[in-house]
Amino acid sequence: MQSAFDRRRINGPEDSYHPIFANEIRESSSNVHRIRENRKISDIRPIFLQPGLISQANGSAYIETESTKIACSVYGPRQSKNTAYNEKGRLNVEVKFAPYSCELRRSPLRDAEDRSIAVAIQQALLSSVQLEHFPKSTIDIFLVIIEADGIEGCIASGSIAASTALADAGIDMYGLVTSCATAVIGTDLWIDPTQEESNSANGTLILSCMPALGIVTNVWQSGRIAPSEILACIDACNDRCTDIHSVVAQALLDSAPNKI
Amino acid sequence: MASTSISKAEKSYIQAGLLANPPRRADGRSLHDFRVISLETGFAPLSNGSAHLSIGRNPHNGSGGTDIMASVKLEVESIEEDASDGGRIVCNVSCSPSAYPHLTSGALDDLQYDLTTVLHQTLSHPSLHPKNLNIIPRKKSWLLNLDLLVTADAGNIYDALFMAARAALWDTKVPRTRSVEYKSPKSLSSASGDMDVDQDTTSGFDTRKVAHATDFELPDYWDEGEILEGRERWPVAITLNLVKTIHFLDATLQEEASCASRLLVVHSYESPISPTVQSMRMLGSEELSILNLKNLIKEAESYTNTMFSSLTAKLEDEDFRRNQKARERFGKRR
Repeated sequence: MQSAFDRRRINGPEDSYHPIFANEIRESSSNVHRIRENRKISDIRPIFLQPGLISQANGSAYIETESTKIACSVYGPRQSKNTAYNEKGRLNVEVKFAPYSCELRRSPLRDAEDRSIAVAIQQALLSSVQLEHFPKSTIDIFLVIIEADGIEGCIASGSIAASTALADAGIDMYGLVTSCATAVIGTDLWIDPTQEESNSANGTLILSCMPALGIVTNVWQSGRIAPSEILACIDACNDRCTDIHSVVAQALLDSAPNKI
Repeated sequence: MASTSISKAEKSYIQAGLLANPPRRADGRSLHDFRVISLETGFAPLSNGSAHLSIGRNPHNGSGGTDIMASVKLEVESIEEDASDGGRIVCNVSCSPSAYPHLTSGALDDLQYDLTTVLHQTLSHPSLHPKNLNIIPRKKSWLLNLDLLVTADAGNIYDALFMAARAALWDTKVPRTRSVEYKSPKSLSSASGDMDVDQDTTSGFDTRKVAHATDFELPDYWDEGEILEGRERWPVAITLNLVKTIHFLDATLQEEASCASRLLVVHSYESPISPTVQSMRMLGSEELSILNLKNLIKEAESYTNTMFSSLTAKLEDEDFRRNQKARERFGKRR
């Protein structure tokens, strides 16, 4: 029987199961509409954002919101050797899930889900970087997801980390990009949903925008949401993005003395 | 998105035409006109449902245009523990290299990934899940494989993919199954010996024994089956191409290369008066304010409404052509 054997690595067992601890009570999906313990429906989880952790890179940022932990590093602008001449710079985003980041072990090789998150984050950042200033160059953004709590959380936190890392690298930008996700559960809008909450939601929406300029850079929606609820989601996300913007700006200000 | 390489002069010419008053496009269409769409269902006899869709095909010689072949194949799979009961849907888009001759195989793979992700995330969402994909509860169910093949791309690939997917799913028939239970035969010795008074007699009214279906069979091998449930729910997509202040639909390759960004909105019309948004994606680097975004979402609803009603009318027409009309024609021959 052929197994997914990777000869370059020490393969673990074919099937792996995460341990279930006695005090982790698995509630049935009908109970997930329980009240959030530490925050209201309209509150985001507290963000810890630290730029400049990876000294080897031109710019870097580490973001942590409860269970989502992402490290981002930016290399560039550097010469793009293999591609044809392009008068605007290229933005290349690569996302990698660490094998231990989700409940089920993820393969160390790239798979489709990595790429879909990378595409979403690249879309969020594309309008914010002044790529006309970097002809023939590439800006590489590498994100490692150390712990994931739902795709929406990864995309939102990843965009914030990437934008902070770009600012930390001193790359010319029009503005900082912040992102927020919303889930529609029943008739309520739950902001910044965890994995459990988005699994039980009718639909989720992620909005990335530049609050300083008031423009939207990316909208990503999945699931079933009524058009009127979509407009409400966009407004709610927009307000939260403005709040997150001040957090990002403060973090960059605090880390500025370390760069001198 | 694969785009043709286009010079700056050509880009500015196309943009100027779109922004002019009245707007001008290369083939004379208005901003919100579609090219001719042709659709045929049931072209693949070996699949459980199929559709062949093309947008903008030249009517004289059938060349050109965006060409998509969609087919649905059902296979039986055993339900693993923790998996949901009632079947799975898996979508896959493959792009033929002949459709994208200028892309390297790596770039082609990336494009396939991107198209597959959008379709799979939208169509496999639990809110669209059909209810008749179960065979034996908690044991076996149907795995629905929806495969779309892009054989030519002349722009507007997302609209075409979703339309073809909807048509193929509309055409899908799920074979009828009947659960089968295996019972070990009574051993011969007890039948021939003296009647044992203590032996339980099985009565038809005895409902204590729960039937354990362990396998299934197809009662009628030649029956195509019942229609896949949830036909009204399968969504349609519209791509709004954005240039500065205006938006236009159904872009050709050159128009796609000249416009900086597009907004993809997917609507489901389970109830005709209140559609739901199933998916939304933004692609490109154009600046978009929140107000603009909200207006575009509202406009998209009116476009998908028209698209949905005409697509449904065509699909019903196709059903009629393949069933009643075919029977009438056959009846006339005899």
